[in-house]
Amino acid sequence: MMRLLKTAKSKTIQRIIGLRDFGVLVAAIVIAAFFSIATPVFLTPYNLFNLLRQTAQLGIIAMAMTILIVCGEFDLSVGAIYAVTGVVTGLLSRSLGVNIWIAALLGMVAALTLGFLNGLLIVTTKINSFIGTLSTMMVYRGIAMVLSQGQPISFELSFFMDLFGRGELFGTVPIPILWMAIWGVSMYFVLHRTSHGVKVFATGDNREAADLAGIKTARIKRIGFLITASAAGLSAIISLSFLKTVTPTQGTGLELEAIAAAVIGGTAMFGGVGSILGTFLGTFIMAEVRTGLVLLGTDAYIQDAFVGLVIAVAVIINVRLSFARK
Amino acid sequence: MNETPFLSIENLSKSFGSTQALDAVSLIIEKGKIFGLAGENGAGKSTLIKILCGVHVPDTGKMFLEGEPHHPRDPEAAERLGISVFHQEIPICPNLSIAANVFLGPAMPKKGLSPDWKVMNERCSELYRNLLGEEIDPTQLIRNCKAAEKQLALLVRVLSRNARLIILDEPTTALTPPEVARMFSIIKRLKDQGITFIFISHMLEELMELSDTITVLRDGKNVGTLIYSEFDRKTLSEMIAGRTLISRSAKAVSRETESYLEVRNLSLEQQFQEVSFKLGKGEILGIAGLQGSGRSELVRVLFGAPPASSGQIIINGKNCSILGPRDAIRAGVGYIPEDRNRLGIFDDMDVKLNLCMAGIDRFSRHGFIDKGNLRQVASRMQDDVAIKMESVDAPIRSLSGGNQQKVLISRWLALRPNILIMNEPTRGVDVGAKHEITELILNLSEEGYTFVIASSELEELVQISDLILVMNRGRVAKKFTGGEVTKDQLILAATT
Repeated sequence: MMRLLKTAKSKTIQRIIGLRDFGVLVAAIVIAAFFSIATPVFLTPYNLFNLLRQTAQLGIIAMAMTILIVCGEFDLSVGAIYAVTGVVTGLLSRSLGVNIWIAALLGMVAALTLGFLNGLLIVTTKINSFIGTLSTMMVYRGIAMVLSQGQPISFELSFFMDLFGRGELFGTVPIPILWMAIWGVSMYFVLHRTSHGVKVFATGDNREAADLAGIKTARIKRIGFLITASAAGLSAIISLSFLKTVTPTQGTGLELEAIAAAVIGGTAMFGGVGSILGTFLGTFIMAEVRTGLVLLGTDAYIQDAFVGLVIAVAVIINVRLSFARK
Repeated sequence: MNETPFLSIENLSKSFGSTQALDAVSLIIEKGKIFGLAGENGAGKSTLIKILCGVHVPDTGKMFLEGEPHHPRDPEAAERLGISVFHQEIPICPNLSIAANVFLGPAMPKKGLSPDWKVMNERCSELYRNLLGEEIDPTQLIRNCKAAEKQLALLVRVLSRNARLIILDEPTTALTPPEVARMFSIIKRLKDQGITFIFISHMLEELMELSDTITVLRDGKNVGTLIYSEFDRKTLSEMIAGRTLISRSAKAVSRETESYLEVRNLSLEQQFQEVSFKLGKGEILGIAGLQGSGRSELVRVLFGAPPASSGQIIINGKNCSILGPRDAIRAGVGYIPEDRNRLGIFDDMDVKLNLCMAGIDRFSRHGFIDKGNLRQVASRMQDDVAIKMESVDAPIRSLSGGNQQKVLISRWLALRPNILIMNEPTRGVDVGAKHEITELILNLSEEGYTFVIASSELEELVQISDLILVMNRGRVAKKFTGGEVTKDQLILAATT
């Protein structure tokens, strides 16, 4: 009898774990419901598209960050890489007159180079990636400041700008949302549908066991840093296209927001657990809270405090769930 | 006139669940003597020690310390009575000086609120001089001390707290032979000062050199005590192994003539040297030896984790350079690690992913996971090796230890390897599963899989091996052919 009860209980727990993303979805819906009641403007297509457009850059980086966190590392330098990509693209196209397509391509190359250096540093020296990328964050930010001499750079309108930031699909859907969708689906496939994704989970779950199973865990981590860097690069291009300008200080704090979004979405800080859909929902929740508070007319300064509370609640639930599973 | 013995133990029993760790053990320990204690892993030595110093409470039985009933509530209470345990994992602060480590605790000499270094250093030097007859620099940091110096600091630490009975639990494993000699002379000197010792060691020679009497435990029972004049290696190893338990293997004595796996002069710096053997296809090689003998390191090197510093590994006539697990896997070698949780399973994943992990690329299509194929592979292995589980989609944690081990074995079987290396194949699994796993190994070897098995379970090795290497201090001490070796011969070779 006791045994029956026990298995019944463990089955329920298993079901809840199976529906982890579902839990985040419920949270997103509850928050949306709250703001819809509080302010009628919240649940309009215009507001929702606007909300998604604003969150696209963070979403792209957070979903990439999820893959890196799942394999057991962090990248605090994404915000700085985001700035470097913008500055490099801006300088090439404005000061040197390089074609914007080639300039953007070279900006991406710069981003990938910085990501490669992150991977090289963390994997070969085996230093903690929190510390390692904290230092590269400062170095990369410095590069952006030196290259631009601290000045913003502005662009001219072109088809490029429409394609990456300003256009609207069918006249209603802002194009950054489309880029986030394409990126999100790719990340979903990489993490959840490929053998590479399985190796990412294995590396974060138990690195030594993964090594003994013949997985090149160092390579998995290096690829993870390349993925976050390319996400930062893509986001930077979307940003410069939409705003027609770059500043060397852009993206400050973006790295922590990306990590927060992943955590709200159920990604475990110690690796081995996480999902792209969860992170997308996590990003969405953060955007909901911010936009909702703006629509309610709350003081702008209080918004960060609320987002902080949301993170705390999410992490508490996350920790509770992992205890239930052990 | 009958003198009261220092410590007497009467009919002490203790069980953990269904295992009887101690079974009506009675002992008498005389003051100022060194009491040797021998026995295999799991014979009950550590349970006895833990009861003596208050970690465990015995189920039945009595203990008397100098005639007074002795039942310490916790290790601190035992230490106040003068009983101290001395083992490898004693907490020590590497960044503090010898003197600080000796006096660390509530009794530290103080001047106002800050520690009185002058008094501490002086008293520390004095302690070393009086107790050990040695001069030291008390301000030296523990971090910069050799293993032997650290141990002496610990010894002085317990002695400074008026220890009367010191339990030495495998004190020599980290020491070099000259350090062991120095340690022993110090212990003898302390014995002459009236301090009583219980000395536990796997090394028979050390036991015989230092002890006044040696008592052997086996399966929780006191098998007997030898006094100094009766000490004899053969008698001791027979007592430790147990005459009744000597089981001969069912293996035929004849060996394969053609060698399939050949190892020549394999060495790993500071771990083992010049290991060579030849093994035929479908044979089982057992590797015995104490912890630290190089047993575990040897099998890891065969899998390239870490790679050997020198020597050759020849598989099926081909010289293989195995620099990492991937090279080993390519050469058809699989490895089932000694610590299932730490090195084997991915505990956030389900059974099928755990099972298919080593061949995840092979079971995927163009880099994409084919869940149907993974399920198929896993169910086939489930049938082949009889894994008990709800389904291949069940989380790995829902399986028992024995079935998790079978999943790890299947991880390699799914790749159809030629050689399987197992480190402690039956550690942490229950008796029934143990039997199933040894059966599985025997069946697989008949199918042509070649096995290299390192194990501390000697009986198991004797039962299934065609060839047994006994490692001792990083060298092959002896080679036995299966079917003609007994457990006590293995113990003798491993411990002398």
